[in-house]
Amino acid sequence: MLEETEEKVITVALAGAPNVGKSTVFNLLTGLSQHVGNWPGKTVEQKTGVFRQNGFTMNIVDLPGTYSLTANSAEEQIARDYLVNESPDVVVAVLNAASLERNLYLVAELIELAPRLVIALNMIDVAEQQGKKINPESLSKTLNIPVIPIVARANKGLHELVSQIEQECSAVAGLRDVKHIEYGSEIKGVIDHVERLLDDGATAPYPKHWTAMKLLEGDGQINKLIRGRMPAERWPALESYLRENESAAVTIATLRFEWVERMMAVSQEKPRIGQVSLTEKIDRAATHPAWGLLILVAVLGAIFWLVFSIGVPIQKFLDINLIVRAREFIHTLSFMPQWLQGFLADGVLAGAGTVLTFVPILFFFFAAWALMEDTGYTARAAFVTDRFMHAIGLHGKSCMPLVLGFGCNVPAILGTRIIDSPRARLLTILITPLVPCTGRMAVVAIIAAAFFGTAGVLVSIGIMLFSLLMLVIVGLILNKFVIRGESSALIMELPLYHVPDLKLIGLVTWQSILAFIKRAGTLILAVSIIVWLLSIIPNGNINDSILAGIGKFLEPLGRLMGLNWQMMVALLSSFVAKENTIATLGVMLSGSGTDLTQQLKQMLTPAAAVAFLVVQVLFIPCVATISAIRQETGGWRWPTFTVLFQLVLSFSMAILVFQIARLFNCL
Amino acid sequence: METERTEEYLEAIYKRQAKETPVSTSSLAADLGVSQPAVTDMLRTLDSKGLIDYKANKGAVLTHSGEERALAVIRRHRLWERFLTDVLGMKWDKVHEEACRLEHATSPDIEKGLSNILGDVDTCPHGHAIPDESGKIKREKTTALTEFHTHQKVRILAVDDEDPKILRAVEKIGLRPGAIVTILKRNKDGSLDIEYANKTIALNSGTAAVLTAELAPQESLTLEEEEIPLGKLRPGNTAIIKCYGGGRGSMGRCLSLGFTPGSAIKMIENFNRGPVLVKVHDTEVAIGRQLADKISVIRKEAAC
Repeated sequence: MLEETEEKVITVALAGAPNVGKSTVFNLLTGLSQHVGNWPGKTVEQKTGVFRQNGFTMNIVDLPGTYSLTANSAEEQIARDYLVNESPDVVVAVLNAASLERNLYLVAELIELAPRLVIALNMIDVAEQQGKKINPESLSKTLNIPVIPIVARANKGLHELVSQIEQECSAVAGLRDVKHIEYGSEIKGVIDHVERLLDDGATAPYPKHWTAMKLLEGDGQINKLIRGRMPAERWPALESYLRENESAAVTIATLRFEWVERMMAVSQEKPRIGQVSLTEKIDRAATHPAWGLLILVAVLGAIFWLVFSIGVPIQKFLDINLIVRAREFIHTLSFMPQWLQGFLADGVLAGAGTVLTFVPILFFFFAAWALMEDTGYTARAAFVTDRFMHAIGLHGKSCMPLVLGFGCNVPAILGTRIIDSPRARLLTILITPLVPCTGRMAVVAIIAAAFFGTAGVLVSIGIMLFSLLMLVIVGLILNKFVIRGESSALIMELPLYHVPDLKLIGLVTWQSILAFIKRAGTLILAVSIIVWLLSIIPNGNINDSILAGIGKFLEPLGRLMGLNWQMMVALLSSFVAKENTIATLGVMLSGSGTDLTQQLKQMLTPAAAVAFLVVQVLFIPCVATISAIRQETGGWRWPTFTVLFQLVLSFSMAILVFQIARLFNCL
Repeated sequence: METERTEEYLEAIYKRQAKETPVSTSSLAADLGVSQPAVTDMLRTLDSKGLIDYKANKGAVLTHSGEERALAVIRRHRLWERFLTDVLGMKWDKVHEEACRLEHATSPDIEKGLSNILGDVDTCPHGHAIPDESGKIKREKTTALTEFHTHQKVRILAVDDEDPKILRAVEKIGLRPGAIVTILKRNKDGSLDIEYANKTIALNSGTAAVLTAELAPQESLTLEEEEIPLGKLRPGNTAIIKCYGGGRGSMGRCLSLGFTPGSAIKMIENFNRGPVLVKVHDTEVAIGRQLADKISVIRKEAAC
């Protein structure tokens, strides 16, 4: 018996197109050992994890889902840079057997970058249901790459996959003689010519032949790289040659698909013609302009119904029974110094604690989002709403995140990751804070009810619509004047519908909630404490505090919209969490004995009340939202822009509303 | 041996009859590679058996029973050819000779077995019709490809030569019976320029001469080469992608999702406004209206 004590550690990268079940494979292999973060310098999710078995360890990296390896998007760039720079020991290409033809295109590209490739042919059961008979052995033989059929959702074939990976790395395996794609003689001449124009070593770490092809394919990133490295006098020759051969990009893609067709011919029997899959049947309704919209409304209705019938009551329950009680309890602890009581009760609990009570609401949104993504419905929703979103320079994929924003802006901003065009994504992120979230609507509802009684509902709805009108106008302005670039066209695959993988949905929801809790425990906590400090320094009384000072400083501005300094302070405190407006007013006005409603009525004219609602609903987003914007735009530039822009927008709109209302004396 | 020779003769006469009736001794001698006197001898024998009607100086014509025998042999020959290519995976330039040997040793049971395995094939690999069990054959109206006019869209029916060299040449071009081609130019030396699968191919005179064809089906003739933007394609219709006219920005995405020239595309949903839904490379893809109008396609069939 041979002794094998030495532990073998290898790196494995999972590559694949979107909607192939790659995440499921990743989760099965790594379980809870996975770590979710971002790729360095990118707002693309990076998942890594570890698989261990009998002294064999695989560090698994889940590459972003991509259709190709030309830098059409950040995802594609990350995937190929990883393959080139990190050269993982084995690359597993996860393919969807039910749409093998499309998936083999990526294999055509992977072959050129990944020396040890294993193909995991997923969803082989779905393919069979569709009458597609695939022969993994012939595919494997033709490609000279191992092909392992798996059904990740049913945890079938994973063992075989793992042992194949292990085998690939064993010393004897060596590198396979993979059949590269034969590009016809015509295009080969063009590629060779570009290669000759390139200097040796100038393309490192990318292979020279590959670089030449990417240049011809119009890959912006490679183009920039080579341009930077080449002697300036030699660049024009290459550039003009590339321009002359612009059509090469099309030719190369066409040849790859022709290669794919040849592979298909050996590996798949033609399905019987005329079979209509379940997906196609559902889609006749789900993508119809009228029925599709109805279905979408029903789906969203169901989500919001769940949120308001379960999530919101839990949030209120937690707020009243946990946060408020805990605060009262802390104030009764006489052994604690006064400042510590205040710090815990009014700083930590009132700020970050209140934000945390929103976890149940967020749970429903995150879970619903993951469910829609996993079943494949998100793409249909995007398809149905595309025609409307087009009007403000967005496309269908922006709609769902914006709708989520009605619940909470944070998941909405995180949800914009589904938008593949960076420009459309940024635009969506920037207008999301103008979607009135539950927090803001709660404040609007309370104040509107206090002032206008039963008409308060109408006023609330009016304010909400006003905010959405602003969203459209701001969208149009940003689209035209602020964000540069061509508005991108919608082009997306409509994946086959899947039975949802509940484990995966649970995991994704859990990861999202965890990230939110981390945020509440760090940035939001810090801001809560700062605002609390501002409200007690110097003598513990909010009415003499620095915060009050700022409010008084802003009073002249406030007067333009009929607001006194207390209202300005209440507005500023909404920065921590939108609901804080009411709490702050409560604290500041608590001295005078009468209830909040009466005091508000004494303080404000109806015109001023409406102006306050306007400024409150358009005011700068809460800390959680700003931090989400920072995370998703990768810097402070756009959060700063949002804060300044919405400051100007909210004040000017409120002033306008107040002055017009006064002018007509109607309120 | 005697039967085999009889069958060879009947087969040869049958094939010749499509070009000349009655069939002269000299052409038969050339086709079979034997001397003219030998042919004359054999034709007399066949005449006495009532298989052909032979008149010296004029030539031979198959009688009814002679034609039945000929068609039976041809059926077995072409079934074997099919079997050799489709089941055994042999190249189409090698199967003729093999089939020539096998056809004479084929019992009715084997013939039935072949026909069962092959299912409902109706031509040999080279495009010639296979007679059915009762000896009926779809009459082949053979028109040489060289006889069509410029701009005519035709369907290749068969390769009328068993010469392996010619078959290999045809295979290299990628032409197969059933291929739809358009004649672009007829040259004086008998060679042709044709368009096939969006590519221009030059056929030399030797290759062009052995191909037979018929006019492509009517509907594709009337809508021939109708180039429209993808956004104008009606639901249910299929088309071939011609070119992409948009900016370089969206091009990469379009290409990697399979919108390459020559790819078949089927319109699933098109409500004249908003995005369209198409099927390309076996997947449904949604494309915004603006982009759909930048992709031009060639419609393949009339609206149903």
